[in-house]
Amino acid sequence: MSVHDENVVGKAWDGVVVRRLSGWARPHWRLFAASFAVLLGLFALDLLGPWMWRHILDGPVAEAVAARGAGGDSTIHMREFWWWIGGYCLLVVAQVALRHLEVSQLNRTGQAVIADLREALYGHIQALELSFHVRRPTGALVTRVTSDVENLNEMFTSGIITLLFDSLKVVVLLVAIFLLDWRLALVVAAGTPVLVGISIGFRGGARNAHRAVRAELARLNGYLQEVLQGIRVVQVFRRERQVGERFAGRLSTYLAANLRTIFLFALFFPAIDFAVSIIQGGTLWVGGLSIAEGRMSTGEFVQFWFYVALLVSPIRELGERYNILQSAFASAERIFDVLDTRAKVVGPAKSPRDAWTGRIRFEGVSFGYDGSTMVLEDADFEIAPGRTTALVGATGSGKTTLVNLLLRFYDPSAGRITLDGVDLRDIPLDALHARMGLVLQEDFLFSGTVRDNLVMGRAGVDDAALREAMRASHADEVVARLPGGLDAPVAERGATFSTGERQLLAIARALAARPPLVVLDEATASVDSGTEAKIEDATRKLLAGRSALVVAHRLSTVRRADEILVLHKGRIRERGRHEELLARGGLYARLHALQFSEAEVEPEH
Amino acid sequence: MKILWRHFDRFLRHRRDLLLGFACIPAAQLLDIYFTVRIGDALDRLRAGEDAGFLRNLFVLLVGIAALRGVFRYFQRWWIVAVSRYVENQLKQEIFDKLVSLPFAFHAKRKSGELVSRATSDVENVRMFLGPGLMYSAGAFVMVPASLWVLFDLEWRLALAMVVPLVLMGLGMKAFTPRLHKISTAVQESLAELSHRAQESFSGVRVVKGYALEGSMAARFRAQSREVERHQVELGRVRGATHALTHAAFDSTFVLILVLGGWAMIDRDLPAGDVFKFIDLTFKVFWPIIALGWIAGMYPRALSSAERIDELLATRSDIVDAPDARALPQVRGALRLAGVGFRHEGAERDALSGVDVAIHAGGVLGVVGPTGSGKSTLLLLLGRLHEATRGSIELDGTDVRRLPLEQLRTALGYVPQDGFLFSDTWRANVQFGADEPLSDERLRELARIACMDEELERFPAGMDVVIGERGVTLSGGQRQRTCLARALARDPRVLVLDDALSAVDTETEARLIENLRRAGAGRTVVVAAHRLSSVRRADAIVVLRRDGTVEAVGKHDALIARAGWYRDTWRAQQMREELEVL
Repeated sequence: MSVHDENVVGKAWDGVVVRRLSGWARPHWRLFAASFAVLLGLFALDLLGPWMWRHILDGPVAEAVAARGAGGDSTIHMREFWWWIGGYCLLVVAQVALRHLEVSQLNRTGQAVIADLREALYGHIQALELSFHVRRPTGALVTRVTSDVENLNEMFTSGIITLLFDSLKVVVLLVAIFLLDWRLALVVAAGTPVLVGISIGFRGGARNAHRAVRAELARLNGYLQEVLQGIRVVQVFRRERQVGERFAGRLSTYLAANLRTIFLFALFFPAIDFAVSIIQGGTLWVGGLSIAEGRMSTGEFVQFWFYVALLVSPIRELGERYNILQSAFASAERIFDVLDTRAKVVGPAKSPRDAWTGRIRFEGVSFGYDGSTMVLEDADFEIAPGRTTALVGATGSGKTTLVNLLLRFYDPSAGRITLDGVDLRDIPLDALHARMGLVLQEDFLFSGTVRDNLVMGRAGVDDAALREAMRASHADEVVARLPGGLDAPVAERGATFSTGERQLLAIARALAARPPLVVLDEATASVDSGTEAKIEDATRKLLAGRSALVVAHRLSTVRRADEILVLHKGRIRERGRHEELLARGGLYARLHALQFSEAEVEPEH
Repeated sequence: MKILWRHFDRFLRHRRDLLLGFACIPAAQLLDIYFTVRIGDALDRLRAGEDAGFLRNLFVLLVGIAALRGVFRYFQRWWIVAVSRYVENQLKQEIFDKLVSLPFAFHAKRKSGELVSRATSDVENVRMFLGPGLMYSAGAFVMVPASLWVLFDLEWRLALAMVVPLVLMGLGMKAFTPRLHKISTAVQESLAELSHRAQESFSGVRVVKGYALEGSMAARFRAQSREVERHQVELGRVRGATHALTHAAFDSTFVLILVLGGWAMIDRDLPAGDVFKFIDLTFKVFWPIIALGWIAGMYPRALSSAERIDELLATRSDIVDAPDARALPQVRGALRLAGVGFRHEGAERDALSGVDVAIHAGGVLGVVGPTGSGKSTLLLLLGRLHEATRGSIELDGTDVRRLPLEQLRTALGYVPQDGFLFSDTWRANVQFGADEPLSDERLRELARIACMDEELERFPAGMDVVIGERGVTLSGGQRQRTCLARALARDPRVLVLDDALSAVDTETEARLIENLRRAGAGRTVVVAAHRLSSVRRADAIVVLRRDGTVEAVGKHDALIARAGWYRDTWRAQQMREELEVL
């Protein structure tokens, strides 16, 4: 349960949100029209039933009784009676059928709208730049596309439409009652505002009480979770009893909030029933006088009684509807909040050219994540077609930032990056990324089959390309041991593969599209020497003949690089080939000793 | 069912409220029936031509009945539901106390979030069934037979016939339940899969973007989204069917009343008032019955929740005081580990093995090794948060298993790796470590030793600054130093630092170590660290291998004199530090 989201309180009615939602509803107007038709039909039948009761009781039944009393023949009335019964049975059948549709049709309508909304929301979130994702916990984004959207379904099924219909019902029933007998109608009309008043008055109190309960529950659970997270500390300090007492304190405030809710509900239901009973008692009194004076028949009284029952139930549920609407509006607000976030890193729709040689230039590129503190300053270099540039530097020196900029996860704060002389910002994002073979530290595997993970829906990856990539990267050996081979499912993000195997698969994935450009962030995790040899070999084949930017952690990679850039504190401090830099005895020489020494280097914190 | 009745025992502790509450149920329901009967009778009196003058008195009577019924309904709900909340709290306290008492091994296997949400929903399931659930059932069990009994007297054929739709509805619901359950499960599963898809593509967003996978990921998501929609629509259909079924029973009861009642009116002059009673009591009987169906639907969930709660409450901690535990007259702090090994429950190999080392009271013991080599585990063994599975750990010559837990843990000042603090004030967090209330003076001193005094002064609230979600966010180093102050607050004989200064810069670390030395003369320190400079002056250093075995034991100088992990790492770290200043 995500307690924090629970606590966001929405308005009960928000015109702007309703207008926007109706925009999403419009494409499904047919479904909505059908829902309205069902609800209207059902309501008509609800009105018709009691009317038939009246006519049966006052017509054939009363006449038959009278006929029998007068010693006459009641057969003709009995026949009429059975005809009415037949009609009533048909009515009931139609009613039952429509009740089925009432639920299923409304639900279908809501689901159709929210499926669209869900997919659009997902696409929008995915299109937003990396900085948006970095700022937000993944769980919150997942909640947007799942529970928040699901919550909106309630808005359609038991929210807006039902509320509109309930209001319509109340009005129509009041009118019908007036037409039936205005004296009785006055009794009901006097009672209805009292009912509505109780329902609405209660709603406010119940909302506050519920909110208090939710907040207390969130605090209670928050404390429990905190204690469990710190269970080591609690136990080693022998504070079990103390935290238990603290918990007891929170429990008692939680109880107080609950008791308040119980009190309100214990008061509400009897209060509504009491008001209804007074209306019924009044109905009997006034109606009884009418019956005694011969102005009202038994049938009319029964019809009236049914109508009062029909009138009361939507009013009784008013409070509930209100709560549903409120929670749905809160969700809608959160959803539209995300939809209103505009993507900042965007590209043009059309590519300025089709063929690329793969010449990359960084021209005076600086970057700071917050726009002020620069983590990369004045980077200036070129990667000629087919050449490899290796980045070397300590953690936090700016290597990853540089890669992120080339991938256009971010745009430079100053300077520009070009591909074949074209600014990256003038190339469509998918055209740019389709040119790149990417191997990241986080060798992410998605659920699906191994094949899905290697092809990744890319048009250019056919079976031949895939086989070739797998052979070159030694991934075929990994796949060979899997039951089902390429069609074996990837479980739990590839947890069944070893680190080395995941790296080989990631290289195969990059190779499969035969990209002219390669971005490689070498993994630091150590693997056994056999796998290490395979990874080195696969890396060599990946880089051969391609323009490549490599965050290098392997000695073999830096040795082969055409140029090494040594980054230190956001600046390129040295550049050159491996031997030259080593001979210079500067930063690189030290980094080299540190990174490529035999020592098992601890990952830094 | 037996399990649920056992849980009902907790309800019975509030016997008085419960009895009063349940006593209100028949009173309210019978008054409700009486209300209808009086109106029906009045209709007949009117039809018989009686003077309408009695209506005024009847109105007053009806209002009285309704008011009294309201009072009973109020107290019924107030007493019974409140008891269910008392029981909820009782259960939650029991669960809390149990969870807090269970050994670390139990918690290491479970996510705290899951434990919390499961405890919440399990308790709620049991509460709903045994509290409001039983209340509504009791209402139905009074209302239905009493109504039928009244109606049976009026026209037995009709009363008997009324049972038929009720039974058919019950059977129909029963037939639908497995299908409803199956489809709900399918909906839940497809939603979980959808959530999983969103989760993995949002957390793998770099790969998705880097490979221009937005399109194919969106297609995958869309496929799953449509799958969810399909299941949801199907669920709507079945829900619609059960909804229709309920109403079919309801409406066909009215058909029966119309047919049999109308026929009886014609045939043998059944009074219209009696037909009215049939109509009105049908309204009153139906909703309790629907509630009954709803409660029956809750039963399986309540049962499995009760089982889970019982299972948790029955779990016993195996780390408890030994029967022959004897307290030491005084703890001095000498430690001796002999052949200590540890294996996680169910694991195939040892996480730690063959640790042999001793340290005199007041000495410093260092524990180093690569990530995952078992440093933290070794420290946890000292306070018996984990129990060593082999060998023995002695404090002042006594096996820790022979010491009362209270004494053992009171002697330890533990500083965790993750810098865990409560969302509370700084003062409360440090006070947490001490058995006696700390004076402001003592707190200030602790802040000074932990090098937190200057930083605390910068907060307007000083030591009363609130830490955590609703307060200020402390840096990793500040958290660690606060944890250190907390550990020092109990003036421990053995200070256990689990890589506790990793986020503190080297300069502050040196000051801290100096402070510790001066403040804690004669205090034994056990320190696990990544940064070897932290253990440099230790009296003994244990070097662990990745597989949890011991590579070497010795002093710093001896360890750098021989080839091995320690020397390599030391050199690498030295070099990195040099690089930092360039």
